Amino acid sequence: MNEPAPEFNSHRGADVSRMIVLYVAALSIALLLASTLIVLVTDASPLEVSEALYRGSFSSPSAIGFTIEQATPILIVALGSLIASRSGLFNIGPEGQFAVGTAAGGLVMFQMGGPPAVVLPLTLVAAGLGGAAWAGIAAFLKAVRGVDVVITTLLLNFVAIQVVSFCVNRYWLLQERTGGRIDPPQSPLVGESYRLPRLGSPTGFNVHTGFLLALVLAAAVWYAVSQTRWGFRLRMLGFNPLAARAAGVNLVVLGGGALVLSGAFAGLAGGVFFTATGFRVTSGVLNYGYEGLLVALISRGRVAAIVPIAIAFGALRSGGGYLGATGVPRYMVDIVQALIVLAALMPPVIADRMARARTMRVIRSAARVRESAPAVPS
Amino acid sequence: MDTPGADAPTRDQPDHAEALSMRGITKRFGTTVACDAVDFDVRSGEIHGLLGQNGAGKSTLMKVLTGLLTPDAGSVLLRGQPVVVHDPLAAASLGIGMVHQHFSIVEALTVWENVALGDRAKIDKRRAIAETEELSERYGLDVDPRAVVRDLSAGQRQRVELLKCLRRDPSLLILDEPTSVLTLQESAELFRILRSTVKQEDRAVVLISHKLDEILASTDRVTIMRDGSVVARMDTADADAPTLANEMVGRPVALERLAGALGLVDVAAARDAGDGDAGHDFDRGTSPPVLQVVEARVHADDGRPLLNGLSLEVRAGEILGLAGVEGNGQAALAAVLHSLVELDSGSVSVEGTEIRTGRAGAMMDAGVAVVPADRHAAGCVLEMSVAENLVLDNLGSVSRGHRVSRQLTLDNARRLMEEFDIRASSPDSLMGALSGGNQQRVVLARALSRSPKLLVADQPSHGLDVGAVAYVAEMLRDAADDGMAVLLISAELEEVLSLSDRIAVIHRGEIMGVLEPSEFDSETIALMMGGQRA
Ligand SMILES: Nc1ncnc2c1ncn2[C@@H]1O[C@H](COP(=O)(O)OP(=O)(O)OP(=O)(O)O)[C@@H](O)[C@H]1O
Ligand SMILES: [Mg+2]
Repeated sequence: MNEPAPEFNSHRGADVSRMIVLYVAALSIALLLASTLIVLVTDASPLEVSEALYRGSFSSPSAIGFTIEQATPILIVALGSLIASRSGLFNIGPEGQFAVGTAAGGLVMFQMGGPPAVVLPLTLVAAGLGGAAWAGIAAFLKAVRGVDVVITTLLLNFVAIQVVSFCVNRYWLLQERTGGRIDPPQSPLVGESYRLPRLGSPTGFNVHTGFLLALVLAAAVWYAVSQTRWGFRLRMLGFNPLAARAAGVNLVVLGGGALVLSGAFAGLAGGVFFTATGFRVTSGVLNYGYEGLLVALISRGRVAAIVPIAIAFGALRSGGGYLGATGVPRYMVDIVQALIVLAALMPPVIADRMARARTMRVIRSAARVRESAPAVPS
Repeated sequence: MDTPGADAPTRDQPDHAEALSMRGITKRFGTTVACDAVDFDVRSGEIHGLLGQNGAGKSTLMKVLTGLLTPDAGSVLLRGQPVVVHDPLAAASLGIGMVHQHFSIVEALTVWENVALGDRAKIDKRRAIAETEELSERYGLDVDPRAVVRDLSAGQRQRVELLKCLRRDPSLLILDEPTSVLTLQESAELFRILRSTVKQEDRAVVLISHKLDEILASTDRVTIMRDGSVVARMDTADADAPTLANEMVGRPVALERLAGALGLVDVAAARDAGDGDAGHDFDRGTSPPVLQVVEARVHADDGRPLLNGLSLEVRAGEILGLAGVEGNGQAALAAVLHSLVELDSGSVSVEGTEIRTGRAGAMMDAGVAVVPADRHAAGCVLEMSVAENLVLDNLGSVSRGHRVSRQLTLDNARRLMEEFDIRASSPDSLMGALSGGNQQRVVLARALSRSPKLLVADQPSHGLDVGAVAYVAEMLRDAADDGMAVLLISAELEEVLSLSDRIAVIHRGEIMGVLEPSEFDSETIALMMGGQRA
């Protein structure tokens, strides 16, 4: 609704330029480290590596389309995480909610017959509901037992992986019958006509409609959190639960609701991935949930920032994939990505450290002043 | 007064008279100039009063001194030595201690833990408790070291803040409205002790307070600020209340207003004389009860009773004053009426309808508005704007359907800011950027603007400057005359006596009795506060 007035909470206004310097420095160091590592492990040069990253992510219309495709689930997850964090509850379980959403979508997709126009939307709805239900467990435990949401959502991630793994190992649930001797733990492939439609030319720029859905959701989330009574109350709850309670905000209903909604977003992200990119339910960890969470963290709660950051993460994935294709091992790609995420998260931490170090210097010099100051006559 | 800043004393010749001198301190927030080239001197061995209206820049100046804020210009000399104070830790190591206007203690910890917090060495529980006890005895600040802060009243928390700071034995002690929720006797005692230690040990104290009588009684010199600048410095001996008030405001202040705020005249008597048979819209004697509390019981986490079968009635059109020693259940009662606490047994009814306690917003919906004693706890949201804070519990009035209308929110804010003289650079300023007194005005404005059936005002004048105290007293009076029921909770007997139509006395979570105006008598009330029934 308004820009924060200058100076509140951050009493050192000159810090803006320092933060910019820190961000640039952190990213440069990350890139430097990454390239050094790559040079050590493979014999590619850093230049080749960055070129590969660029080629895979932004160099051509089709690369851009691929980047956006990768960014879409991350973006949807991040929007949900933003809702939860606005209410003061920290949902760190999008990965699990994503997985459960994928499985729930898969059940509808493969168990329910019918034309695509019916099955596809229902698949997405089921995915959202699956994620919501998974987050709902945490909301329920919080409401009745006061169990910390951070802990439950985190632990439920691991349970979710087991649940999905169970599903893709049972023929009566999701597992595909290939007719071979051993069937892999995965679902059948989604039929062509049951996939999310794609826009653009098949060889040039093309994106699936899930991205449009994500953009619509971004607009809706922006509107809901910044313009509506619900968003107002959500912020009140996040900032000051006591004042919110006195003003009629019910933590269980509003906070629990926000948590469930964020789960729904993560689940929907799973559904979109499943029907637009992955086409199968597998028991692997895809990391879209964790990355969405990171995007929400880095954006610090601003919807406008979430979209570009999610796309940047998508670019790391698409560029990383390309890099992998050039012979750089997959784990190196992950390391590069982790370094960049760290670089994006470190500057606030470093700034804090620097402030502390300065304090210690002042204390030491103050001690010297005190010692040298003559005793005070009474 | 000589200015050591002009020829700063060197290390060889420190100027002992000036414990502190601040030179040309300027601090801007956006377009607001909170401190404008302020010179401020404190001598060793003195208690120095710092006065000014709400938003004059007092807290800002002191935050610069303790390193919470970095000044845009100016320098600080401590005992003649130039110092740069980057943050509170550095200030502490220089012997500067500050008790802030707003609480900074940890609710979940016990009193002794809070007092010992920040110690570098290993904390020895027994010793810390003994030390806390000894300190509270020495300074006459009575509080149980083992109590958990969450269960304490505003006044008790204030004592913890003081103890925590005093324990460090600061050579320069800054007190930013330390007594706003203490009783007069308590603060008098505190300053008596401070005065002697300050003299003996050659320390210095800066006291910010809106209570002019307190300033007059306990300071040696005063500095008065207005709109970010120092407008006067004087020896307290040469000052009286009207002089101070006039300097603060910049024009002569109507005397009876001032006198009312200072508790110098009996407002109740003056009012009855003035009103005479003009009469109220409500005949208070027969008007129906708006609030009925019956046999209310609430327990603290550790099982201590906070409300112990309390019964109380507030009628339409009256101000019922709740007198009592701090910590006798006032906070619990206010929390119940704020929907923050559920009763263990008993009931609360508003206009005859029983209200479920502890259910979010139930009291609000029933027409109860609360001005809490600690405005930062449940009274406002510091991270949201002033305009938003003015509609926290009244969103419907500025919404169209589900959408909060920015225009309506701003209109409402401008109107209330004007009416309650809330000084903020804009309605979009963050609540946390307002001065303490202006935050209090926001909380009051919101409560009164809803035209509640019952207004619970817990220390309503907490942090207000002299003019605003008088204004709020008038507002409460007018609201009651228009038929609102007002429950006034205050640590100051004077305030209760001067404003109330009836006075209920609370002791250990029970009402000892309710007095009619003819029975208002400090001595009777004091006895009842000590546990004697009427
Ligand atoms: N962090 C901040 N950000 C922006 N403006 C601020 C901030 N802190 C204070 N101000 C502004 O500076 C001015 C002086 O505020 P300050 O808190 O020093 O007043 P004060 O004299 O302590 O008043 P009070 O008696 O109400 O406590 C006010 O106009 C206030 O709005
Ligand atoms: Mg102040």
